[in-house]
Parts: sequence; structure tokens; C-alpha cells
Amino acid sequence: MGIFDRTTTGHVTAPLSVAVERGALRFFAETIGETDPVHFDSAAARAAGYPDLRAPPTYAVVLDTAAATEATRRGLPRLLDLIGADLRYLLHGTERYCYHGTIHAGDTLEITHEVTGFSDAKGGALEIAHLKMRITHPARGPLVIATRDLIHRLPKVRP
Amino acid sequence: MTPQTARPGDSLPPLTFGPITRAMLALYAGASGDHNPIHIDIDFARQAGQQDVFAHGMLSMAQLGRLVTGWAGQDRLLALSARFTAITPVGATLTLTGDVTERLEIDGNPVLHLTLAATLADGTRTLRGQATVCAA
Repeated sequence: MGIFDRTTTGHVTAPLSVAVERGALRFFAETIGETDPVHFDSAAARAAGYPDLRAPPTYAVVLDTAAATEATRRGLPRLLDLIGADLRYLLHGTERYCYHGTIHAGDTLEITHEVTGFSDAKGGALEIAHLKMRITHPARGPLVIATRDLIHRLPKVRP
Repeated sequence: MTPQTARPGDSLPPLTFGPITRAMLALYAGASGDHNPIHIDIDFARQAGQQDVFAHGMLSMAQLGRLVTGWAGQDRLLALSARFTAITPVGATLTLTGDVTERLEIDGNPVLHLTLAATLADGTRTLRGQATVCAA
């Protein structure tokens, strides 16, 4: 028996609005060791033709967690709570990004999540949640489509 | 070698990242908003049956992103993916590598497929990744 709540299959979350803040973007870029100044120097970003700092390729993770925080503020369940994730046994399996447009500081973006489904692996020792996130700008359309597999390593005896 | 001239079998200039410290994981938790305590709280990690905290997989994937954009430029990056195949322990130094596996045309545009990897000093492969890059 798994831990994930499989009745959430097909669930699509209400769109959440998330602001891409310049300081947060710079902090993220510096923390991952970005050396391209378009990610942390607004003047360099503008010189390169961007309106402000450009988000690095894995910035979607920040928007994902920001959406979770926004959900909590609005009294909505976080995606991880919705699917019944148990952080003690949770592992990140895969992460995939398809890029359709650029993300900059100053953007206000819309985030939606979809619970695509669940599966089992390794004879029931693992269970996998398949998730999709869409990052959309109200005028520029879809910017990033992200898919993610989260894995529970199921304990033999559940404490 | 540039994306325009790259052929299958070519390799990207490798990157190294690390050693990954506990302080780095605390900063990444704050910067990413991923506050899962398994990465920053050794008490929680031990209760969950781990000997120690371990690094966020997404911190390593960020390095795969740097590997590809540092070579091709972010404007050429069409897709990036990673499969997390082993835990990255505290103290690890990663080597990030990328190989051109395919050159093809999609809708008349030249595109490269890259195979990426993050590897620990003992040879453990922690991430296997792929990227699709515009080669025009």
C-alpha cells in the first residue's frame, strides 16, 4: 500500500499568481554559482536586451515553491499536501523543462499544477507521483512546462 | 567547438562544483524555497533513517543548466531534464559533463541532443540528464 493519495489523479490546481522578485532571483543565481551577470546584474541584463535580470534554467523550482507559499496564504492546500507526500520517504525522481519563453525579474506569472497520475516500481518498494507544472505569462503565454516525478521509498513497516 | 559546429561524439567543456557544504544547502533551501528538512536538519534526517542530510537534487540540476548555457547560451536551450539516480552527500564535489549525441533538424532548424551527467569523485553517477539545444 502506498502513501500518496491516488484519488487526486487528474486534479488541476487553481492558477496562482507569483511575482518574480529581483532580489530573490539574484539570491538564487548567486547560490547556484551562476557566473553570467545577466542573472545577478540588472545593468548587464539590460545591456543583453532583457528588461531586467533573467531567470536561470532551473528557476522554475523557485516559482513552484512560491506557488506553494501563496497557496498557504490563500488557505488552499499545497500540492505536496494534496497528494499526501511524506517528506521522510520522499525522493526527487526526475525533472524536465521545456522552454517556450524567457522569465525576468518584474514578471508576474501564473502557476498551475496537474496531478498526472501515480505508478509503482521495484515490486512495490517505490511509488511514484507524476506531476506537471505550467508557468504562464498573461500576455506572453506559456513560458515553461515542467514535469516532475516524486518518489516515496516505502518503509517496510510504517511507523 | 560551438553549437553550430558540434557533431555527435563531441564533448562540452566540463564543470566542477563543490565541495557541497551544509551552509550551501541552507542557502539553497532559502534561495529555492525548498525547505524540506531532509536537506538541512540532521535530526529530521536521522529520524527518517538517513545517516546525514543530503543535497537537493535541484542544486545539482542547476549545475547541469550552467554547463549547457555556459557553452550554448541560454537562448539556445530548448529543453533540460534530469533523472536523480543517487543521493549527493555533504562534502561531495561534482563533475558535470555533457556529450553531443545527435544532430538533427526539427522543422528545418538544426538541433543538438546532449547527454549530461553529474558524477561524484568515487565515480557514482548522481544525475543523468538530457538537453536539447538549437544549433543555428
